[in-house]
Parts: sequence; structure tokens; C-alpha cells
Amino acid sequence: RFYHEKVVDHYNNPRNVGSFDASDPSVGTGLVGAPACGDVMKLQIRVGDDGKIVDSCFKTFGCGSAIASSSVASEWIKGKGMDEVSKITNNDIAKHLSLPPVKLHCSMLAEDAIKAAIKDYDAKRKK
Amino acid sequence: EKEFHSVANETLHRLQEKIDEYGEKLAIDGFDTDFAEGVLTVRLGDLGTYVINKQTPNRQIWLSSPVSGPARFDWQDSQWVYRRTKVELQSLLEKELSELLGHSIDLGE
Repeated sequence: RFYHEKVVDHYNNPRNVGSFDASDPSVGTGLVGAPACGDVMKLQIRVGDDGKIVDSCFKTFGCGSAIASSSVASEWIKGKGMDEVSKITNNDIAKHLSLPPVKLHCSMLAEDAIKAAIKDYDAKRKK
Repeated sequence: EKEFHSVANETLHRLQEKIDEYGEKLAIDGFDTDFAEGVLTVRLGDLGTYVINKQTPNRQIWLSSPVSGPARFDWQDSQWVYRRTKVELQSLLEKELSELLGHSIDLGE
């Protein structure tokens, strides 16, 4: 198997690996995937007073493409508003990493993780 | 789980057979199908590659389409359905392949 150099780069130098306090009101946590299939992604966002994502981090359990997809996702969402970020699609991530057909599911999972983090943040704000 | 394998294998096997028939009939450049270890790969040369596989832990069939990207199908009411869009696997493939190949495609029995 051959991994595209962008995927290898994110695998060797993942951006934003880490964890925020999930109970912090400015933090949204998206947890997607299932260990049974070998992929679990946790993507967290910290939202500023202006409604923009000031920081993000992730932890992913899975293949190189899954790690790269969530790493790319965590980079792309920084400094953006939540509406803008919900427009990021698995297709954007897949094209950026030149993912082969069998790995498109990884970029889909990353898109799901972004949406889940936003949903969690919104749900917390309503409480 | 045994039932899943039985239904899924039957589906993938039938898809491969039908698609192979069209492959021969339509003489597509770079056409190839491969079904091994629960993974059906359909190469259509420059038009792209489909990967359709069994995802046993979830009892799903996963699809990767060069047209519509990834999708996951659950067995519901004797059909493979993608919950997000309610689209059915066979119809999705028939529609996409018909457009890609410029020929009406029927993957049913």
C-alpha cells in the first residue's frame, strides 16, 4: 500500500493532538466512530466570545488516513466561525489528502466529527 | 452474523456478476472487477473506481463511489439502505453507472 506524502506528513507530525476539558462551557466535543471497525475520532473545539473557533484539538484511533483526516480537520477549523466550518465536506478533506477510494470513509468520519463538535457546543449553550 | 454474511455475500456476488456482464458488453477501457475477502472492487479506467465491502462489526455494506463518495448501507426491509439519504444501494449504483457509462444499467435479478 502507498500513502500519499500529505497523509504521511500528518501521521508523523500531527497538528493539534490533545484534549480540552469537555465540561468547559466554551468547549464542544465531537466523538464519532466505533472501535469495532477500528476508527474512533474525538475532535474538540474551543469557541471564543465572538463565536469563532479559537482553538481545536483531536485524538484519533485508527489508520493513517483517519489520523490525517482529523488532523487536517483540526487545522482547517481554527479561526473560523461555526457556519463556515459546517460547510467543510469529506470531499474537501479527501481531495486535499488524495485519499484512495477505500479511505473515503475516513474523511467522512472527520466531517462527522466537526459537525458533532459543533452540535455538542450548541447543545451546551442552550442549557 | 451468519445471516449478515449470507445476505451481504449474495448481494456483492450478484453485483459483481451483473457488472461483469456490462463490462464485457460495453468494452469499457480499463475495466476490471475483483471480489476477495469481502471486498468488491470495480475499476472503470479513467471513470473511477468503486469499492464496495462488507463491514461486519456494523453489519453494513460500505460503498466508496467516484461520483458520490462514501456511504454506508444497513439491511432494512430486505434492502440495503443509506440512512442519511434513504437511498437504496442497487438503485444508486444503477443510476450512477448509467450516467458514467452512457448506457441504461439494470442490476436486478
